[in-house]
Amino acid sequence: MPQDDLSTPSLLVIDDNLEHLELVRRIMTARGYRVWVAANGETGLQLALEQQPDVLVIDLGLPDVDGQTLIGHLKHLPAFVDKPIIACTAWPEETARNMVEMYGCDGYISKPIRTADFADRIAAYLHR
Amino acid sequence: MPIELPPTSTAKPRWQTSPLMTTEEIDSSLQIVPARSFSIDQLVAAYNQTRVDYLVPMPMNAARLAEYIHIYDVDLDYSQVAVDGDQILGLAMLGVRPGRIWITRLGVLPIKRRRGTGEALMRALLAAANQLRISYACLEVIKHNLPAHTLFLKLGFVETRELLILRRPPGPPVEIPSAEVGWLNHAEALALLDTRITPPAWTNETPSLAHLENLAGLSLSLPDGTAGWLVFERQKFILSHFIMQTSQGDAVALGQALLAHLYQRYPDLDTHAENIPVDDPHLAAFFGARFVESFRRIEMHRH
Repeated sequence: MPQDDLSTPSLLVIDDNLEHLELVRRIMTARGYRVWVAANGETGLQLALEQQPDVLVIDLGLPDVDGQTLIGHLKHLPAFVDKPIIACTAWPEETARNMVEMYGCDGYISKPIRTADFADRIAAYLHR
Repeated sequence: MPIELPPTSTAKPRWQTSPLMTTEEIDSSLQIVPARSFSIDQLVAAYNQTRVDYLVPMPMNAARLAEYIHIYDVDLDYSQVAVDGDQILGLAMLGVRPGRIWITRLGVLPIKRRRGTGEALMRALLAAANQLRISYACLEVIKHNLPAHTLFLKLGFVETRELLILRRPPGPPVEIPSAEVGWLNHAEALALLDTRITPPAWTNETPSLAHLENLAGLSLSLPDGTAGWLVFERQKFILSHFIMQTSQGDAVALGQALLAHLYQRYPDLDTHAENIPVDDPHLAAFFGARFVESFRRIEMHRH
């Protein structure tokens, strides 16, 4: 569960792969982030609106609302216009890049993630 | 991870008493079983696992699969699942409408491909069509899915046309042409579909659209007499099921005006426009309105 220390950065991860969610949660918690996780788009949207995380990582292949739709929706909400939203996907690089550009993502991270530098990459988006 | 069937009891497996007795031994272990024998949760888990390595995986959850079954008249008594012991290897679904069937959601677990499972599923579906006394079958295959395309050709399917899957991210229109615009409710939109000229893909046939709760439409005429309409579905986050038709005049000008007025009203919604024929006369208007081709399907049929 996220701690209530509002001075630490916060991250919301939305992905239907529970092992991936747990992996990201562990990596980012160890780096001092408050981390929320959601296994589907609807829950993820609700958490995003309630918790207003500093950065979001969203799987493009969600089973209820697809990831691009969710990202496009969030990026049209004033609260998220300037927040980094990063797509996480196993799609081929070109497809991922096209979707990222089209839907206004701030970037993408390919799956499977590299545990060694995942936290650094998230931090880089946050400090842009 | 394989999909496990529920624990079996000493009772006869349900599929052995199914009204469709198509269970057939492809080899010593593979069995083809009606999809009705499985829960929606089992079917959706199997479906998602068959697609994990697809270019466009399009995963579903149980609610979306149930909706898909309803909208497209998928009949689970005639849809089929391939099993080996307690493991689901693949599945294929059958839409049934008067005089025609539609084959959809065919997929085999990546590690179980190239062993005849897909062909066994296809042959079971075609046997079901025979049992229904329906000779016309149609399907769509993602372009460049060579193994599936080759299988369909082998089974006697021929290509009819290419279909585009288009997407447009949320955003307002750039320019809004002056026009007379009328917004249509479900019944009014549905009535317009009877005037269609181009035969639609199964997903856009009138019975599919009639099942959509939030079907709506927009009719429009321009000062030069160009006129036509757009029928669509509006969901919480997306617009979909686009059918556009020009009654008279310039198809591209009409399309531009229809899309501009649509996105003036719904600037925050994402759009999936599926199965638009490659020769649709409004395509330039779609691309001008920031639609992007996501991928293509090849429509095939067999008599």
